[in-house]
Amino acid sequence: MRPVLLVAAGLVLAACNEIPQDAPKPYAGKEDTKAYASDTFKGDKQKYEQTLAERAKYQDEYQRTGDAKTN
Amino acid sequence: MARMKFICDAERCIECNGCATACKQEHEVPWGVNRRRLVTVNDGIPGERSISVACMHCTDAPCMAVCPVDCFYRTEDQVVLHDKDLCIGCGYCFYACPFGAPQFPQAGAFGLRGKMDKCTYCAGGPEQDHSLEEFRKYGRNRIAEGKLPACAEMCSTKALLAGDDAVITRIYKTRVVTRGKGGEIWGWAMAYGGSGKLADQPGAKS
Repeated sequence: MRPVLLVAAGLVLAACNEIPQDAPKPYAGKEDTKAYASDTFKGDKQKYEQTLAERAKYQDEYQRTGDAKTN
Repeated sequence: MARMKFICDAERCIECNGCATACKQEHEVPWGVNRRRLVTVNDGIPGERSISVACMHCTDAPCMAVCPVDCFYRTEDQVVLHDKDLCIGCGYCFYACPFGAPQFPQAGAFGLRGKMDKCTYCAGGPEQDHSLEEFRKYGRNRIAEGKLPACAEMCSTKALLAGDDAVITRIYKTRVVTRGKGGEIWGWAMAYGGSGKLADQPGAKS
């Protein structure tokens, strides 16, 4: 009796699974240029990423004061 | 490849509205549209917390999923942008967004809704970089100039961090270790999936 109940429960619960039915939607608008394609970087992606990473580090005031604890 | 994200540090935010003001000023955002705003929980009660909220540029963005005209796209830096020439101002994205990011200008009488406007991560839109058309529709393109979003750069207490996820989680980790608390990153799990705990982020492990 118990195996039958388990199989029945498995079959019933299988219907609860929601499978995505929509394919990823494509973008229908205008093509955007890459951020590093501007005059500032002239297509140099590495320089672009390095510049942004360096700039992001300025947000760390502990870097300036040297008061940070490390673990 | 960089993955641009925001972190708002609730332990540091003093609700000065500097980020919202910087955004308004930088992009000349019209009245009634707030790409970034402050939300305060338990206002006036000791221990209140404030959070600066805008588009989080979600990894699996619900706005993209529900848009009936497919006007959203994602840049190489994982910034979610949209084409205003396609947007019909239906408002589906507003209902889908967990952060209330999409904004709609009142375009005329009788509450007529204009095209959706939201935070662009200061990355402009699908127009010629630094053109008047781009500025008019989407605001300034600071990213193409090698600058971070104005809101984060203007933040006086550096509560709002912007940049590559590995870099900003490392900065946040230094703070959490130094002050000894606040390891949960607000909105992170909802926007980017996975864990919202700092210790689980790739940048925090190095």
